[in-house]
Amino acid sequence: MGPTLILEGNAHTVEVLRWRPRLVVLVDGRRHEVTDVDDGRDGHRSAVVDGAVVEFMRAADDGRCHLRIDGRTFEIDRIDPRDAAGGDDHSHDVVRAPMPGVVVDVHRSAGEAVLRGEKIVTIESMKLQTALVAPRDGVVAALRRAAGDTFDKDAVIIELEPLSGEA
Amino acid sequence: MTTVSCPSVRSVAEAEPPFAKVLVANRGEIAVRVMRTLAEMGIASVAVHHAVERSAAHVLLADEVVELEGATPIAAHLDGAQIVRAARAVGADAIHPGYGFLSENADFARAVGEAGLVFIGPRPETIRLMGDKISAIEFARANGVPVAPSVMPTGDLDAFLAEAEAIGFPLLIKAAAGGGGKGMNIVRSAADLAEAARLAASEASRYFGDGRIYAERWVERPRHIEVQILGDGRGGAIHLYERECSVQRRFQKIIEEAPAAALPIALRDEICAAAVRLARAADYANAGTVEFILDADGRFHFLEMNTRLQVEHPVTEMVTGIDLVRAQIEIAAGRDLRLAQDEISLRGHAVECRICAEDTENGYLPATGTIRLLEHPQGRNIRFENALSRGQKVTTDFDPMLAKLVVHGRDRGEAIDRAIEALGDLAILGVTVNVDHLARILGHEAFRAGALHTGFLVEHAATLAPPATSEAERDRALIAALLGFHEFRELMAGVSEPHASIGFWRN
Repeated sequence: MGPTLILEGNAHTVEVLRWRPRLVVLVDGRRHEVTDVDDGRDGHRSAVVDGAVVEFMRAADDGRCHLRIDGRTFEIDRIDPRDAAGGDDHSHDVVRAPMPGVVVDVHRSAGEAVLRGEKIVTIESMKLQTALVAPRDGVVAALRRAAGDTFDKDAVIIELEPLSGEA
Repeated sequence: MTTVSCPSVRSVAEAEPPFAKVLVANRGEIAVRVMRTLAEMGIASVAVHHAVERSAAHVLLADEVVELEGATPIAAHLDGAQIVRAARAVGADAIHPGYGFLSENADFARAVGEAGLVFIGPRPETIRLMGDKISAIEFARANGVPVAPSVMPTGDLDAFLAEAEAIGFPLLIKAAAGGGGKGMNIVRSAADLAEAARLAASEASRYFGDGRIYAERWVERPRHIEVQILGDGRGGAIHLYERECSVQRRFQKIIEEAPAAALPIALRDEICAAAVRLARAADYANAGTVEFILDADGRFHFLEMNTRLQVEHPVTEMVTGIDLVRAQIEIAAGRDLRLAQDEISLRGHAVECRICAEDTENGYLPATGTIRLLEHPQGRNIRFENALSRGQKVTTDFDPMLAKLVVHGRDRGEAIDRAIEALGDLAILGVTVNVDHLARILGHEAFRAGALHTGFLVEHAATLAPPATSEAERDRALIAALLGFHEFRELMAGVSEPHASIGFWRN
C-alpha cells in the first residue's frame, strides 16, 4: 500500500509497483512509467511520464507539496497511512479560520455545550466580519485564540470535544 | 532579491545629480524601484523600515537605513513626523513617497518642505485640492474637463425631473444620504423617471431619514482610462499618453496596459488634452495621473486625479521610454521638463499584471504563507518588479500585492502572448497567488478582443474559472508531488538491488 495524497480535496492513492529498472507507479490503480526522474529538490524540474516530458515547479515541505504544472497551482498533502488508519472523520472536531484575520469577539467558552450552527467566535478580515459556528452539536473543548488575537488561514480556532460511542 | 531588465527606460547623461541623498518613505517593490533610479542617477538612497522588516529587500538595497518605531509596521510607515526627523538626521535632501502610505498626504508634503527638505511630488495645496472629491470635480468642471452630468437635490420634484431628463438616459437615481445600494434606481427612459424618483425618495426617507435624492448619468460597461501627465509647476504640462485599467476586482486594478485597447485616436487625443488642461490649470508640479470613466458611446468624464506615481507607471515607461521616477526627481529639483509634447511617442504595447497573495476562487480573500519557491521570468521585454525572497513570510501586515509583472511587445497581441508566457515561467509557491487567474484573463477571447470594462471579471466569471482538471493532469501532478517527498526519495535511494523489483511503500 502507498500513501494517500490529497489533491483539490480528493484523496488519491499512489503505489510503487516497481523501483527498478524503471520506476512504475499506480495512481488510483492507473499504471505510469516514470523515467528521467528529477533530483527531488525544489525548483523548476521535470520527469518523463509514459514517454512524455512533464515540466513543473515544485516546493515540498513535510507532508505538503506546492506545485505549479500545466498552468495550474496545486497544494498536494500527504496523509500518513497511520493517521488515516483509525478511520474516524475528525473534520467536525475543529473549526479552522477560512481566512487570515483577527478575533473580534468570543461568545462561548471551553466546557460549554453548543448546538450545530451556534456562533462561537466572531472574526474579522479585510473589514469583513464572519461568525465561526459549531459544525455539529457538542461541547467546546478549547478556544485556541482569544479576542484580539490574529491568525493565519486554516489555523485551528475552536476545538470541540470528540464524539464518543455513537460516532 | 530583485532582477529587473529595463532596457526601454531612457538614460540621459546627467551633469550633476540634482540631489545628493534621497530618503524613500516606502517599502516593497516601489521602494526598490525608486532606489534603482536613484542609483542610476548617482544619488544615495535611504530606506526606512519597521523592526519586522530588517531583512526586507528595500532595506538591503539602500545605501543607508533608518529603523522606525511603531506599534505596527503600517503605523511606522505612516508616521510622517518620525520620517521627516529621520531624513534630517541622515542629511537627506529630499523624500520620495512612492505610492500609498504618505504619498497623498498634504500635511506630510508640507512638513517635508517646512523641514527644509524637498517633497518629490506636487505642492501640498495641489494634493489637498485633488484629494477632496468634491473640490476636484468642481475644479475640473471649472476648467473645461468633462465631469459626470448630475442633478443635485432640490425641494422641487418637477424641476429635478426636468433637469434629470436633460442629462439623458440611463440615469442613476441615488439617495443623497445613501449607501449600501439602498435608494438606488437605474432609470432607462423618461417614462419611468417620475415613478423611480418618487420610489427612490421614499426609500431614502425610510432608510436614511433623509428623502433627498440626486441623479447622475449611469455608465454601462464603463472603461477606466487614465492619463499620465508631467507638470513643471509653472503652468507647463505634457501627457505621456493613456493607460487602460479596466480589469478590476473589488474596485482595484489587477491588469493594466498602455496604450488603451482599441481606443480611437481622436478620442485618445481628446482625453489626453483634457488631462493636460487640468494639470496646466492647477500649475501642477511633478508626475500625476488623471483618471477618467469612458462609456461605450465614447463619452468620458473625470473620475479623480492621483497626485503621485501610480502602481502601474511601468507600462507607460515601457511604451514611452521615459523613466518617470527620474522625471519626478528632476522636476522636484526645479529643473525644466526635458521633453516637449511632440517628442513623446509610443512604441509598442505594454501589459502589467499585479501578482497578489489572494485566493481568486474564494472571493479574492487575502492569503498568507511562506514563500517556498520563487522562480521568475527574465528577458529584455520583461520587468518583474518585486521585493520578494525565498523564505519570506507573507502576512496581512501589508497590501496583498506581492509583485508586478510588466511585459512589452511590438503590438497588443504580442504583449499579451509574451505576458502569458512570462506568467507561465513565474512560480511563487507557498502562498496562494493569482498567477493562474491572470493568465486565464489574458488568454480570454474577450480580453484579446479588447472588449474591456470594469465589470469584465464579473461578466466572464464562468469562463475565467479554472477548468476542471483532467485525470491525466491529476496523475501528472500527483507523480510530480510524489517525486518531491523526502521519504519517497529516501526509499528510492535506499532500495537495495534484491528488493528493487518488489513494489512497496510503507512508513
